[in-house]
Amino acid sequence: MKKQTKLLRVLLLLLSWAVTSFAIAQDVKITGRVTDASDNSTLPGVSIVVKGTTTGTVTDLDGKFALTVKPDATLVFSFIGYTTQEVVVGAQRALNIALQPAVTGLSEVVVIGYGQVKKGDATGAVAAINTKDFNKGAIVSPQQLMVGKVAGVTVTTSGGAPGGSATIRIRGGASLNASDDPLIVIDGVPVDNSSISGVRSPLSMINPNDIETFTVLKDASATAIFGSRASNGVIMITTKKGKAGEKMHVEYNGNLSYYAIPKTVDVLDGAEFTALINEKFPDRVNLLGTANTDWQKEIYQNAFSTDHNLSVTGQFKTMPYRVSAGYMWQDGILKTDNMKRTSLGLNLNPSFLDDHLKVNMNGKWMFVNNRFADNGAINQAIQFDPTKPVTADNEYGGYWAWLQEDGNLVDQATRNPVSTLMLKDDLADALRFIGNAQFDYKFHFLPDLRANLNIGYDYSGTDGTVFVPKYSSLNFNAGGVDNLYNQKKENTLLDFYLNYVKDVKSIASKFDLMGGYSWQHFYIENNTFADNVDHTLPNTIIDKNEYYLISFFGRFNYTLLDRYLLTFTLRDDGSSRFSPDTRWGLFPAAALAWKINDEPFLRNIKALSQLKLRVGWGITGQQDISTNYYPYLPIYTLGDQFTNYQFGNTFYYTYRPEEYDANIKWEETETRNIGLDFGFFDDRISGSVEYYERYTKDLISRIPVPAGTNLSNYVTTNIGSMENKGWEFNLLIRPVVKENFSWEIGGNLTLNTNKITKLLAYDDPSFLGIRTGDDIAGGVGNKIQMFSVGYPKYSFFVYHQVYDQNGMPIEGLFVDSNGDGKIDDSDRYHFKSPDAQYIIGISSKLSYKKFDLSFSGRANIGNYMFDNVNAENGVYERLYRPEGPYLANIVPAVYDVDFTSPQYLSDYYIKNASFFKMDYIALSYLVGNLYKNTANLRLSFTVNNAFTITKYEGIDPEIFSGIDNRVYPRPRVFALGVNVLF
Amino acid sequence: MKRILNITLFIAGIVLFTASCTKDLNTVPIDPDQITSAAVYEDPASYKMVLAKLYSGLSVTGQQGAAGNPDVEGIDEGFGEYLRAYWYHQELTTDEAVLGWNDQTIKDFHWQKWGTSDVFVAAMYYRIFAQISFCNEYIRETSDAKLDERGVTGTLRTDIGFYRAEARFLRALSYYHALDLFGSTPFVTENDGVGKFFPVQKSRAELFNYVESELLAIEPLLKDAKTNEYGRADKAAADFLLAKLYLNAEVYTGTAKYTECITYANKVINSGYILDPSYENIFKADNNNSPEIIFPVTFDGLRTRTWGGTTFIVHAAIGGSMPPADFGVAGGWGGIRTTSALIDKFAGSVSKRISPIPHPRKAAYPLLNCPGSYQGWDPAKETTVLASVNGDGRYEGYLYFADGGTQFKFAKGSWDHNWGDDGGDGTLEPNGANIQVADAGYYKVNVDTNTFTYTIMKTDWGVIGSATADGWNSDQNMTYVPNADNNQAGVWTATLSLTAGEIKFRANDGWDLNYGDNGNNGILDGGGDDIPIPEAGDYVITLKLGAPDYTYTIERLSIDGRAMFWTAGQTLEINDIASFTDGYAVTKWKNVTSTGAAGSDNTYVDTDFPMFRLADAYLMYAEAVLRGGSGGDAGTALTLVNALRTRAYGDTHGNIAASDLTLNFILDERARELYWECTRRTDLVRFGQFTNGDYVWPWKGYVKEGAATDAHYNIFPLPSSDVSANPNLTQNPGY
Repeated sequence: MKKQTKLLRVLLLLLSWAVTSFAIAQDVKITGRVTDASDNSTLPGVSIVVKGTTTGTVTDLDGKFALTVKPDATLVFSFIGYTTQEVVVGAQRALNIALQPAVTGLSEVVVIGYGQVKKGDATGAVAAINTKDFNKGAIVSPQQLMVGKVAGVTVTTSGGAPGGSATIRIRGGASLNASDDPLIVIDGVPVDNSSISGVRSPLSMINPNDIETFTVLKDASATAIFGSRASNGVIMITTKKGKAGEKMHVEYNGNLSYYAIPKTVDVLDGAEFTALINEKFPDRVNLLGTANTDWQKEIYQNAFSTDHNLSVTGQFKTMPYRVSAGYMWQDGILKTDNMKRTSLGLNLNPSFLDDHLKVNMNGKWMFVNNRFADNGAINQAIQFDPTKPVTADNEYGGYWAWLQEDGNLVDQATRNPVSTLMLKDDLADALRFIGNAQFDYKFHFLPDLRANLNIGYDYSGTDGTVFVPKYSSLNFNAGGVDNLYNQKKENTLLDFYLNYVKDVKSIASKFDLMGGYSWQHFYIENNTFADNVDHTLPNTIIDKNEYYLISFFGRFNYTLLDRYLLTFTLRDDGSSRFSPDTRWGLFPAAALAWKINDEPFLRNIKALSQLKLRVGWGITGQQDISTNYYPYLPIYTLGDQFTNYQFGNTFYYTYRPEEYDANIKWEETETRNIGLDFGFFDDRISGSVEYYERYTKDLISRIPVPAGTNLSNYVTTNIGSMENKGWEFNLLIRPVVKENFSWEIGGNLTLNTNKITKLLAYDDPSFLGIRTGDDIAGGVGNKIQMFSVGYPKYSFFVYHQVYDQNGMPIEGLFVDSNGDGKIDDSDRYHFKSPDAQYIIGISSKLSYKKFDLSFSGRANIGNYMFDNVNAENGVYERLYRPEGPYLANIVPAVYDVDFTSPQYLSDYYIKNASFFKMDYIALSYLVGNLYKNTANLRLSFTVNNAFTITKYEGIDPEIFSGIDNRVYPRPRVFALGVNVLF
Repeated sequence: MKRILNITLFIAGIVLFTASCTKDLNTVPIDPDQITSAAVYEDPASYKMVLAKLYSGLSVTGQQGAAGNPDVEGIDEGFGEYLRAYWYHQELTTDEAVLGWNDQTIKDFHWQKWGTSDVFVAAMYYRIFAQISFCNEYIRETSDAKLDERGVTGTLRTDIGFYRAEARFLRALSYYHALDLFGSTPFVTENDGVGKFFPVQKSRAELFNYVESELLAIEPLLKDAKTNEYGRADKAAADFLLAKLYLNAEVYTGTAKYTECITYANKVINSGYILDPSYENIFKADNNNSPEIIFPVTFDGLRTRTWGGTTFIVHAAIGGSMPPADFGVAGGWGGIRTTSALIDKFAGSVSKRISPIPHPRKAAYPLLNCPGSYQGWDPAKETTVLASVNGDGRYEGYLYFADGGTQFKFAKGSWDHNWGDDGGDGTLEPNGANIQVADAGYYKVNVDTNTFTYTIMKTDWGVIGSATADGWNSDQNMTYVPNADNNQAGVWTATLSLTAGEIKFRANDGWDLNYGDNGNNGILDGGGDDIPIPEAGDYVITLKLGAPDYTYTIERLSIDGRAMFWTAGQTLEINDIASFTDGYAVTKWKNVTSTGAAGSDNTYVDTDFPMFRLADAYLMYAEAVLRGGSGGDAGTALTLVNALRTRAYGDTHGNIAASDLTLNFILDERARELYWECTRRTDLVRFGQFTNGDYVWPWKGYVKEGAATDAHYNIFPLPSSDVSANPNLTQNPGY
């Protein structure tokens, strides 16, 4: 919004009158006018503050202002959506200021590692999105804000659970077994992004309302400053701050959301089930009941959530501050699921010593209370016999259960899903604190030199309990569950760097030199006290681990003629995970940028507003082997009380020697990147094109080693290599930019291909690969994905199904690919992978007078899915289970195949899961002033997960693992939002 | 200048500060459950705890029970349990077991069509080498040099000597499994360290020589038989393994070593271990008390937990109509059954007549024919007659009329002389009217030709006596079994569990008509003496009346008690391997103690697995003798085999004669004695019957009736993953 409404203008006039009335008489009177630099229209309501004071005013309806100040004062002009501008009054008495719309972004400052850079001067592949670009509606976790917004970044939520986790991948991920997660840096503190007990997603502990920007560093030249943790990209999150000179604002943001049950799995109803049992197992009809229960209806509910956020921003004396509080409450659509989050945020950023010392302090406290629904109920609801009632008069809590003739439970039978949900109390209280204090000191004796010290602390603590009564069929044999657990994670950071910037006008050069040191310590402690209800089987598991990362880093920027930019960075990283001989890794990067449009021969071409070529190269590393903290040390592990061994009449605890690789070292990824940023017609059309190649070698892999050479068959070691190559396109078009009507449409396209190029110490062409991926449902230990040389990671590895003349798959008949007369693994082939070939994001924002209409959608094309639901439940054999005996429901997809037994490894079940998803459609209306013109109200209505277009027949085509199996359905959400600004 | 100095000092300060912090990178575990190898042996108790790990490698899957923190990766933890993997290889590939689950490629085992990337094959292989690696590490850490270095002396040093010998035994056991299952494999010892190298491949014969030399070397170092703690290996365990190795030497090396087999089998037999009086108890929850088990793999419901081992065997064997509680567990997994090929080996129970064989008192008695509608009105038929025992014109006998309203007459060999009853008054008239009986039944008929009168009386027979369940109080009813043509005399029979005591036969639940046996001559006498039953057991009793002499038989039934199958609701033949009710279930393994109490936990089973037990040594001895080994003799072989059969039958009725003791008998006897105990595949291979068409069983070769498979399946392939990881390896032929 560039223009404010009349009501707002009146309010601002009144405010300006009020402010000026209280202003102390000053030496000089300044008058002026503020305009929009892009179209010269006047800007009413611009805040003008005398720097370092609370004195100020706002522009009137015509963009005019008047203010009496001391001659040496500095005026700060700020307005939402525009770049803040500072002007020294000096001899001037009339000031006509043209504010640059921030949307062009070139002068926008983006945060990079250990510093910041003007976007126009960035040399690496950096994408920044801020509040105005964020996704809207019912947003619980920060990562949801950026879904679909940045080319090369995919965010896949794990399902529809409240505050559910999400997998973030930047350019496909560079590792195989080490973590593929990007490094997340919040206000300069690299945080531990591994899971936190009792919380569905570690990021869900951060209130999205406190976030100002996401900066995604994609290529090595941008990320290498983070060295060892940068291979998978870096996401830098900056939270909102108080601003110097700002008047006090109070903002309330709230929404009420309604979560509608989406599509559920199509299963047989009672009548169809009865008919099929009569047909297929006529001698088992005695096991049938007479009810007709839709078990999925029984476990799901339409749910609500509310979210309230209040923030106060302003300046107390010389102390700019922002204080925020939030409260979120959400029920899951799976009954008994609930999440409550209370968050507090405090930011103080005072300046001292005549602005030589700037201090920025952030504290964020988050309290999350979760009740977890047992997700096992999702599959149980698909499989439970629909002819059985929910309740029964029995000793299992009154929930119908499969019983043997003697009244005992049928051990192998499906458990009643309603009982599973209702008779389990799985509760967790988690606290997280993320805080940092950053001191930036500009040396008095050498103002070109800055010292920056950042001290950070990230703590999370969880207390959880799990209780299942003895009479619940879920844990009946064990005597119920009465577990306690707690977790403590600490991450302490100390960063220090010196930055020297020198403009040498004589040679039209600018030098920017930075060098620093970083120390970070991680501590993780998990305690579990497991027992049954009668406390006859206590089992205590205590885990404590720590690791350190210590780094030295430096960056050299050289700018010539303000057109040629060179960046060179170097980081020397040490990790306690590796031996003294291998723990240090050197990670260099270099980049060149050429602002072509600033060349004299192009300067006169008005249509061209931006043209920049970027070339970057760098090496980054990876050390995150998740739970393995001492992979190089020979260690013995004590077994627990259930792995004792009997000698005579005594049971002995056991010590096991662990496998290790004394020479394990960094995984290294070399990235090459070339990008072109362009803008035409005052950036009415702008965008970028990037091409990248990433080669990872010495992959930290968990691979089978020659039998007998180590103390396990799999060892974590450096072996193998992999490559990612891809293109990224970004385009932003603003077809209409008018006072009362503006429209902006953006899109991005990502093409990434991933290929494993080496897996073994020596090349064996007959080596099929390493089985990988999650175990599929049905049977035990079945895997359908492979790491194989020459194929994308997680490729499906399946048999060619043979079909009859009607196109019906023939049960048990597969193509004997190698013609050796038998069907075995050598007849399997690599068929597709869960990764999309094309990822498209599209978004639009349309403003017309008081209305804003925006939407954001995504398409994934060429991603494939293993339809595990139909593979497991689409067979007649499931109907009657003799090991019980019991009956189990199946899916009508069985009629498409007529299979008696499951054919898990058939390519029939590998389905194209391309989709288009409308992530949200939002409509907002600016009501305007309220309550005697002291408040400004905006209402919004958002539909999240509005619709999905796909040919995939399962309930959701978007599942990160590529295995469609008992996914928590993602609800469609209708959110009503209120924003009030005081 | 001062500025530069300031900056220099500042930077120097920073450098010093940061350099000192790099020491933080030298971390050691802070978890109390993790300790560096350098520190672990500082505690004397650790030596036994690491030894316990070497043993538990056979029973649990990792450092967290029943699952978690596994020793072997890349496969479901339960599948990777040593014993379960071994059981799969030794049993599922044979006639003894099928498994119905949809777990990956497991059905290929029964079809004998597994491939080089089979995960179950890999699980066994890597489990074996994990065990070998753990043993190597322990043997390295207990060398004299290391112990001297740590100053270990005294009792601990002596104990460690035994521990170390046991570690070598366990390594030899795993190498034996490796050479038996995989033939030629990689070879690593304590002299190879931990790290990146490519182990050499040794031939099957080389591995044989190594295992033999190791066992011979450590046999003197192990504790004497029966002097070690339960669960730990002693000399007998090493002797047993040597006997096993030698028995199969011809398969492994081409050179027979049956004489050596006899030598070591003899050592085992004379070691002090004895047969458990109860076969069943060897497979129960308290089998740690069994005197027969030489080397167990131990499990415990509360302290040694796994999803493999006996927990797997007991649970997976339960399904269909089997009540899990009878087996001491909460539920069945409905997986494993057996094929009809094993059931056939138990076909026919042995029975023995204990009643005297009767000798007729006279060559022949005068007869009176009884022609009638029930036998085709044949006045000369000799099976439907009455007889006069004393030749005094008084005839007696029993006739069976299948239908009510049957008519008959009396005749002397032809219609020339026949009598009927006019008026139904009980007196007979020549050529008189047909006599009619209203009801079907078994009738006692008396004719007095002196007075020409007759009587008929319907009778139902029973056994009574102190040997029967209700003593002398009431009858145990017998069933009449007519002969095929319905007009010949049939017999009354009853199958009864009797105790030692007496019995008599009586009619119509009263004493008016009863038979005993005076003089115990096999011929019944009205009101005669009680018939003795010398010992308790199952008996089949028959009563043959008809015409005198009336006789009876009493046969003691002897059943092979090792046939422990569940047949209710199960079919003998398997149409669908996936369906639990196809094929008889096996009840041999239980989580119930010998006194009938349930095990300590209803999910994790207490029952130990007898890896080596004495009965196997008996059979090895007998087989080696039959195969021409010297140092033993056929008589002892027969005695040993019959000792097993006597235990199996509960008496000597199942004993065999010397002429029955053939190699084929031994193979079948091994199946009967040792089924589901992980010996079958090795046995079938040794007898040349594993793969070819000489012997097939249901579903062998993926054919319901069974079919020949290729000989290369006699050994398993090396997992393709190891062939790829180790360039020194050559795959087994045929794969």
